[in-house]
Formats: sequence, structure tokens, C-alpha cells
Amino acid sequence: MKYQSQSIAKLYFIAAIGLFVGQILFGVTLGLQYVIGDFLFPEIPFNVARMVHTNLLIVWLLFGFMGSAYYLVPEESERELYAPWLAKLMFWIFLIAGALTILGYLMVPYATLAEITMNDLLPTMGREFLEQPTITKIGIVIVALAFLFNIGMTILTGRKTVISLVLLTGLIGLAVFFLFSFYNPDNVVMDKYFWWFVVHLWVEGVWELIMAAMLAYVLIKVTGVDREVIEKWLYIIIAMALISGLIGTGHHFFWIGAPDYWQWLGSIFSAIEPIPFFMMTLFAFNVVNKRRRDHPNKAAVLWALGTAVMAFLGAGVWGFLHTLAPVNFYTHGTQITAAHGHMAFYGAYVMVILTMISYSMPLMRGKQAGNARAQVIEMWSFWLMTVAMVFITLFLTGAGILQVYLQRYSDTPLGFMATQDKLEIFYWAREGAGVIFLIGLFLYIYSFFAKGEDVVMPEAAVAS
Amino acid sequence: MMKSETSKNNEQQLKNASNAALASLLNLTILPVISFIALLFIYKKTQPGNIDHYHAVLGIKINITAALALFLVSTLMIVLGGFHSPWTWVYVITYFTIVHTIFIVFAIWALVRSWSGDKLRSKHN
Repeated sequence: MKYQSQSIAKLYFIAAIGLFVGQILFGVTLGLQYVIGDFLFPEIPFNVARMVHTNLLIVWLLFGFMGSAYYLVPEESERELYAPWLAKLMFWIFLIAGALTILGYLMVPYATLAEITMNDLLPTMGREFLEQPTITKIGIVIVALAFLFNIGMTILTGRKTVISLVLLTGLIGLAVFFLFSFYNPDNVVMDKYFWWFVVHLWVEGVWELIMAAMLAYVLIKVTGVDREVIEKWLYIIIAMALISGLIGTGHHFFWIGAPDYWQWLGSIFSAIEPIPFFMMTLFAFNVVNKRRRDHPNKAAVLWALGTAVMAFLGAGVWGFLHTLAPVNFYTHGTQITAAHGHMAFYGAYVMVILTMISYSMPLMRGKQAGNARAQVIEMWSFWLMTVAMVFITLFLTGAGILQVYLQRYSDTPLGFMATQDKLEIFYWAREGAGVIFLIGLFLYIYSFFAKGEDVVMPEAAVAS
Repeated sequence: MMKSETSKNNEQQLKNASNAALASLLNLTILPVISFIALLFIYKKTQPGNIDHYHAVLGIKINITAALALFLVSTLMIVLGGFHSPWTWVYVITYFTIVHTIFIVFAIWALVRSWSGDKLRSKHN
């Protein structure tokens, strides 16, 4: 670690991992509620568990992005963080606000939460993924602005690299597009438009820039390949991500009452959306193949390669699977969407943050890389979580196909709940894979504490 | 003079190897059949023992295996499972998607190896 202020990332990463555990525990609970409907009812109803599962995901990913930026930017800018105290202050504000919000979901009925947080003054609650009380949303904006100020000033007053500028662009986009969550029109079609301007433009737009920048940074560090080579790839990838992702928003407008032309625009542009992920795989494979050194942190290299492949699978292939309008006519809102969502979030965003943590955590703890035993355990956790996620996706895909056939395609369609009964076998199998994922996650955490012989970094690698 | 010719020959081999691997990848993705025909033409231009020949043969093998694994197995699933059974489509679509993706990822790795003039298993330089 070259700059002292980079160590702030550690706080963010620890919080991110803690919240990740919470997310998966609620995920496993939810999985069980699919097959045992009254499991933990009325203490934790399904709708609340789902809200906590998805909100924890968003919050911990934001912690992960912020932690990664605090680690990456000082090194790229060749200076200390502009205001380390601000980063620490914002960490505690965000953590407390996040924890209070989650407790609010769990302790009081959602309507009461809306009432006590004075949602009626500026109604923003009640939309999927954006369920946070308005006051929490205002808190998120304040934290995001302080974070952007800190990161922005560090970059602007230091060395400017393609990686840090792409990251900054992505982070600014993240903050700007979140502002649409404050607009809650009465017209349901308009409401959906603006809702997707947050959700889609985050995950299929600006977050891809953040992901690409983080992946490029780690690959430079672990392979020693020239920055210029990696930067060229980065330019092409982010251009493709924005070209396809922005108008690709149209694939959410097929059936919401928007004009018909969105079926063409949405289909064509979202058919292009796998390309940046395809290129990311090509880029990561190419850079690792041309590596100038064998970095001692094998686990970080594995996570980096895994990110590229799994993002291509989850976001690229599984996205394309149901994105064309004639297919989406049957598949929208089914378990196929859930399959895509699970693998895409894991492959693209969870894994890239775990890549950053895997690379930076040993350095923040004063080592070049985790000890050999810790790395083996971490690699086991990689495989357990990744294979479990592949199976979760396959089981949900199977469930989705059967659901489409029975509920929407058949000449004698079944009702929603009757169809759900037929999918029970898939839900049990998915639950099993979810438990394996949880075991993998615990193993991942254990890897930070595993003792063993230190791995020595070769001279060439240290020089970077 | 000799050295220059060897270097030119190596460059041509590298170019052919890359083109072969690219044709293999394209056949698996956006340009099926046409790319396979192009791959066969590239194969005809290569000499056994050279890196371009290796990648052309590898590409042909990947694509024939993929065709068998995807179309033959899927067809068998449909014939044995029945066209009108929802379970047939559960297996066929899930199987086709995951296996197709595995072949694509494998072809990407082959392309990357061809760019650096390496065989799949040869040690990194």
C-alpha cells in the first residue's frame, strides 16, 4: 500500500462483507419461504425478507464501490486522499443510516415506516429496490456527494489516468441517476420510466464503467501488462457499454404502455448489450495470457478472471436469453428474470468487489499477498460460491421455462399459484445451492483469519 | 535474407492462426456456417506442424464438437422427451444455453492463445 489514506477502504470492505452475509442469510430464508410459505411468518413476511435481501445487496455493493474507489484513486492519482476524515465520517453516517433503514423494514410495518419518516412530504417509497424512506434517500445523496467531492478532488489535484476518470464518470452517473428516485409521478407509465432510469441505467449503464475501471486496475497490478494496452481496451468496452446500455433501457418499456417502437429499439440495442461483457472476457483472458509476471496473489487473479467470465454469462448470455421482444412477451417477470438477475449481479458486481478486496486486503494488512493456506481457502470459497451461483441460475432458469410454458404458453394456462406448486422441485434445488453459496461465503470470511506461511512477492512485482 | 523470410513466414502463420481462431469464435456466435466455411479455407492454406494449422484444426474440432453437443443432443432430447412436453423445453433450453456458452468461452481462450502464437497447453512465454 503506497498511501496511508488507502487504508480507509478496509472499513468499507468490512462493512460490505458484513452486509453481504446479511443479504445471503435473508436470501436463504426467502428460498425456504418459496417452499414453506409460512416459514418465519409473521415475524419476517416474504415481502419484507425480499426487500431486505435486495436492499442489503444495493447497500453493500455501494460500500464495496466506495471502498474500492478509496483504495484505487489515491494510487492512481499518486497522492493521499483529499479528505480522509470526510471518508470516515461518511462511512459511519452511511452505515448507521443503512442499519436503521433495514431495522425499520424489520421492526415496523412498511406503511408505518412511511408514516414515521414523513414520506407524505415527498413521496418516494413503495417502488421495488427503491423502498428506502425518503429521509434515507436524502442521506444517500449527501453521502454520495461527499464521496464524489472527496474522490473528485483527489483525482483533479493528482495524476489523471484513464482508469480513475472512467471510475469517476461511473460514480458521477451513479449519483446523478439516483436523483430520478425522488420523482414519483402519478402516471404509472411515467413512474416506470423514471424507475428504470435509476435501476437500469445503474446496472446496465454506469455501474459497468465502475466495474470495468476496477477490473482494469487489478489486472494492471497483477499482470504487469502496459497501462496503454489496458486503457485501449477500457475505452472500447465503456463505449460499447454506453452505446448499448443507454438505449437498451428500451427492453423494459415493451409492456408498460410505452410506444411500440421501443420493442424494436429495445430489442436491437439490448441484443448488443452482451458485447461489452464479451469484450471484458476477451480483455481479461488476453491480459492474463500476456502477463509479464506471476503475481503471488493467485486468488485475486482467479477472482478477476472469474468476474469477466461470470459477468459475460450472467449479464450477457442470460440477459440476451430473454431480451428480444417476442421472447420477452412470454418471459417478462418470470423466474427467468430472477435467474438473470442473480447471475448478473453476482458475476458483474459482487465478484468485481471481491476481486478488489482480494487484491487490496492483504496489502492493507501489510502483506504482499495472503498466505498460501489463506489463498487456497479463498479459492475454495470462489469455486463454492461461483458453482453454487451457476446452479442457482440453472434451477431458476428451469423453473422459469416451466413457468412460461404452464402459465403463459399452454392452450390451457394454469393460474400463478397453481404454477408455483409445479415449480417446487426447482425451488428446493435452488435452496440447496443457496446453502452451498452461504458455506462458500463463510469460507471466504474464514480465509482472512487463516494462518500459514507468507508468500513472498518477486522483485518485478514489487517494482510496480 | 533467410532471417527476413522466416520472420515473414512466422507473421503470416500468426495471422492465419488468429483468423482461424476468430472464424471459429464467429461460427459459434454471430456468423454461423459462413465462418465455418472461412475456417476450412484457412485450414487449406496451412501446413501441418505450424501454429496456424494447430489453431485451424482446433477451431474445426471445437465447432464440430459444439455442433454435435448442441444440435444432436438437443434433437435427441426433443425426440425422446416429446415436442409438446414442457419438461423437454426445460432441459433443452437450459442445456443449450449453458453448453453453448462454455464453447464460446473456450473459443475466446483459443483466440487469445492464437494472438500470442501459443498452443492451448503450451507454457506461457
